[in-house]
Amino acid sequence: MHEHRQQARIFSVQRMSTEDGPGIRTTVFFEGCSLACDWCHNPESIDRQPRAIWHGWKCMACDSCLAVCKRGAIERHEEGLRVDAQRCAGCGACSDACPTTAMEPKALVRDLESLLAEVARDRAYYDRSGGGVTVSGGEPTLQAPFVQAFLEACQAAGLHTTLDTCGQCGTEVLRSLISHADLVLYDLKLMDEDSHRQHTGHGLARILGNLEAIWAGDDAGSAPPLWIRTPLIPGVTATPAGVQAIGRFLAERLGDRVQRWELCAFNNLCQDKYQRLGLDWAYQGQASMGMPELEVLAQAARASGVEPSLVHMSGPGVQS
Amino acid sequence: MAAPVAALDPLVRIKQPHGLSPRIRWLREHFFRGVDRPWNNEWACFSTGTPWDVLYEELSYYIVPETFAFLQPFRASTLQAASDVELPKGFWRMSLPERRAWFIREVMVEQLPQEVLPGDLIAGGRFAIQASRCWDKHEARARDKAVAQARAAVQWFHRHGYGNAGATSGHLIPDHPRLLELGWEGVHRDLEARLASLPRRQRRGAHGDQLRAMLTAATMPRDLALRYRTLCQKLAAEAETPERAAELDTMADNLARVPWKPARSFWEAVQALWINHMLVISDECYPGAGVSFGRMDQYLLPYWERSRAEGMDRAQGKEILSCFWVHANHVYDAMIKLGGNQGITAGFGQLVTLSGLGPGGRDMTNDLTWAILEVIDELSPILEPKPNLRLHSDSPPELLERAVEMIAASQGAPFLLNFDERSMAGMLRQAKEAGVRHLIHPGNVHDYAPVGCLENTMQGNDRSGTVDINVELVKAVELALTGGVDLLPAVDPVTGAPDPIQQDGPATGDATGFASFERFWQAYEAQTVALIQRAFALYEHSETIRARYSPTPYLSCLVRGCAERGLDITQGGAELSFVTVEAIGFATTVDSLLAVQYLVFDQQICTMAELIAALRDNWEGREQLQARACYRAPKYGRDDPEADALAQRVMQLWTRECWKHTTSTGRRGRPGMLSWNYWVGDGYVLSATPDGRAKGRFLSNAICPSNGADIHGPTANTNSVGAVLGGHAPDGHGDWKDWLCCLPNGASHTITFHPAMLQGPEHKAKFQAFLLGYARNGGTALQVNVLDPEILREAQRRPQDFRHLLVRVTGYNAYFSSIGRELQDEIIARETHRCTV
Repeated sequence: MHEHRQQARIFSVQRMSTEDGPGIRTTVFFEGCSLACDWCHNPESIDRQPRAIWHGWKCMACDSCLAVCKRGAIERHEEGLRVDAQRCAGCGACSDACPTTAMEPKALVRDLESLLAEVARDRAYYDRSGGGVTVSGGEPTLQAPFVQAFLEACQAAGLHTTLDTCGQCGTEVLRSLISHADLVLYDLKLMDEDSHRQHTGHGLARILGNLEAIWAGDDAGSAPPLWIRTPLIPGVTATPAGVQAIGRFLAERLGDRVQRWELCAFNNLCQDKYQRLGLDWAYQGQASMGMPELEVLAQAARASGVEPSLVHMSGPGVQS
Repeated sequence: MAAPVAALDPLVRIKQPHGLSPRIRWLREHFFRGVDRPWNNEWACFSTGTPWDVLYEELSYYIVPETFAFLQPFRASTLQAASDVELPKGFWRMSLPERRAWFIREVMVEQLPQEVLPGDLIAGGRFAIQASRCWDKHEARARDKAVAQARAAVQWFHRHGYGNAGATSGHLIPDHPRLLELGWEGVHRDLEARLASLPRRQRRGAHGDQLRAMLTAATMPRDLALRYRTLCQKLAAEAETPERAAELDTMADNLARVPWKPARSFWEAVQALWINHMLVISDECYPGAGVSFGRMDQYLLPYWERSRAEGMDRAQGKEILSCFWVHANHVYDAMIKLGGNQGITAGFGQLVTLSGLGPGGRDMTNDLTWAILEVIDELSPILEPKPNLRLHSDSPPELLERAVEMIAASQGAPFLLNFDERSMAGMLRQAKEAGVRHLIHPGNVHDYAPVGCLENTMQGNDRSGTVDINVELVKAVELALTGGVDLLPAVDPVTGAPDPIQQDGPATGDATGFASFERFWQAYEAQTVALIQRAFALYEHSETIRARYSPTPYLSCLVRGCAERGLDITQGGAELSFVTVEAIGFATTVDSLLAVQYLVFDQQICTMAELIAALRDNWEGREQLQARACYRAPKYGRDDPEADALAQRVMQLWTRECWKHTTSTGRRGRPGMLSWNYWVGDGYVLSATPDGRAKGRFLSNAICPSNGADIHGPTANTNSVGAVLGGHAPDGHGDWKDWLCCLPNGASHTITFHPAMLQGPEHKAKFQAFLLGYARNGGTALQVNVLDPEILREAQRRPQDFRHLLVRVTGYNAYFSSIGRELQDEIIARETHRCTV
């Protein structure tokens, strides 16, 4: 699917992003993910099937979309409209008919040239902030040929590039991308194989293997620096022991290649999105993480063997 | 008192004053006691006692449509409240400017009580007056006739949705540095020499009359200061502590010297500055809106440094500044009984300008800049004087850091940010367009400063009438749709009677027959040309009336060019005499044109006739078409090169037309973009617009994108604003370096941020970088808003208007409107919790 160098399926483009690497950045979110974390905030971005997404807050309830859908994929429920993922073929008829953009394609096919032109428009802000472009997702390695070409083009245009990956990909694929990345944001969620498999759908072999192969090997010095990111999920990753296990691995295996370790506090802000999509969420009703809890985990991280100043916390509850 | 709050909640802490001495805390709190104070600075009224006398100059309020119904009552009530002043023999034989100069001086020195507040270090408590216009019977009658016409014309203009225009007071920067350096004695001497050197005929004519009036005015500050000196001596004798007695003795000594003689110390300079400033407000009998100080941290610096070298403690210097700061707030007393807010109806904008570029591209931030920033931070929240911080590409990092700290700590920026390169490019464009390169050039343009809200001018020689003509650009779209008639009948707000629909604008043809958007554009262009012509013609009414009947000889002493030409500032005496046309609803106009192109021609979603019918019906029954106009049509403000190209076309047409006109007093038109509150009020006057806006909804504000249209965030929004101002010259030869700017006045731009965008050192550093990016890509000025939960609640109620609102969720930013109800509730609940615990 779209595995060529000139076009990609893009979920969204976020300008003035301040959370995906250094400085002010433009983050390009690629559709599709190789993991299926049960806490995912963008569950609709996991699969790569073209389909429509309904944004209730924009809907004027004119039912234009219902009238044009030939496959009967749109249904009215108590809480609004729902797009049946099985029936929707992503033909785009409903979004064309929608007067308000409440019904929109889940992802857009973008060509490299237009995407490059868009990200280059904020060069003035990158230059002053040490920022640049971040490719994220979903999982950008799933559209590697395009991402490689895009990162290469960004670098050629003098833009700082960052790859944000979950690491669940082939080592050679990852190598092909990091050769055009100035920085890599790498997710490391759990060090326990079974738990990882249970909550993300995959084991740790590739994720850790890639880190070892690229950042712990002989040529680790030529690989771009790493920022490790750990989502703190209550009852899953948010335990002092779990955090310390990650920290030990980082300290022992990756040494000075890790420039920063971000602990991202859990929040429940996506629960209504699950409802809207008609999906169950394992963390329904779970409270967002507060500062005292976070501080305990940060202490654990700082005591894990990693240089303590590398540990950062992020999230809406974080106070500086 | 702020400490416990601060400890609980760094995200949305309500800004509190801090670090104030007991003296300053008392003075600040005393101000906010409003009508409960023993005395206040409410307008005091003085008449010549003639039955035809007029005090209230309504021309200054033609740009405030809310006052139209009150013009006559104000006139009557000020006269009713007036005390009669005994006139000297021969008063009526003097020329009008001489009569007026004598009368104002008499009121300020002999009639109005002098007041010094307990602990205050600056004298000059009462200055708000309504004084006789000093017209004789013949003048009053002739002027009344002219005014009746002018008033009817401006009311018609407003009622039909064209905007407003009127010769307004304030809105300039007097030549304070010269006054501090020479003292009024020096100015007086200069005026005497000028009068003496006039040929006899001129000396006996209008030129001589003007100089004689200015000579009288020039003695007013001296005589008033001596009155205050006497008061200080009396208070010193009664003082409860030797420390206070010593302060009052020094104040008396200061007043014995300044503002008549050149200032020597910092205390003298600030004392002189305050008296010189407050008397402008008295002279114009205007509450002081836009009477601005300019680059105070530059021209007060020599006095600051001298006094510091002579042993003035830094804290003492700040104490003097803080007293000055509180004084500036007493302008609101003028109408203290009006409304429920102690007369504070809107920020008056006595602007203070800080930092910025100097000669040779040097940054001018200095110790006084820092001291003033500290004073602002310690006193905030406080409204006046309104600080404007000038930034540029090489602003010192410490200054940026401080600015962002102050923005983050308050609900909105405690100051307006001005951006030098783009602003200076605009001023240099003006020099080229208007042939005033001898007055504005690369060697002095760094000394520009804004007045009022953000309107850029030069200092001490410039009246650019920055709020005098306000044009509803989108009216031209309406007239292009209808072929030059109102879409809906205008209604008289008092009687409710509709005006007849008639051919007011050029007959540009039946739009339903237009075969292309280009043809529609031609109609729009013709209507715009006529609209601006009409606005100037309207302005001419009040400009000529003011020039003939309402001289301000005191103010004329403070503006270079008036003495040299022997012309009052109201007659175009200032070296730089311009009148600024401020466009309202720029984005509404651009988006409306884009919508016509999109709906009727490109996508053919409706016919022109259907669109016009929908607008006439205020979109009722055509909600889907309205939604397409709102959400599907392209918009300005998204950094979309195609949409922004049309925005540039609108901008170029309009600026070209502004430069074409000149008043009978020789004041050339120049373009700007400031919508004050018209974008709100006129939204109820103007019919529905093709961009999807219904009648009764707000128009777009100044140069900002339409509410909710800038869905690609602050950088895209900023890029669009910079692009329509001209962007950068591809060959590197812009108006200033490679910056281009077609708006010398500048343009008002507001961006709203969630507090989390400024939380913590990393985000603050990123925000500093954003401001530097703004200096490169953005407009002339920026107001940063930091949102509180109440605004977030409003965003829930009207998500369509808040699509631009970025909130930081966790590890990523999201648009508030897009994140769903529960998430919104969560964010609001969390923040409300934080600021109330």
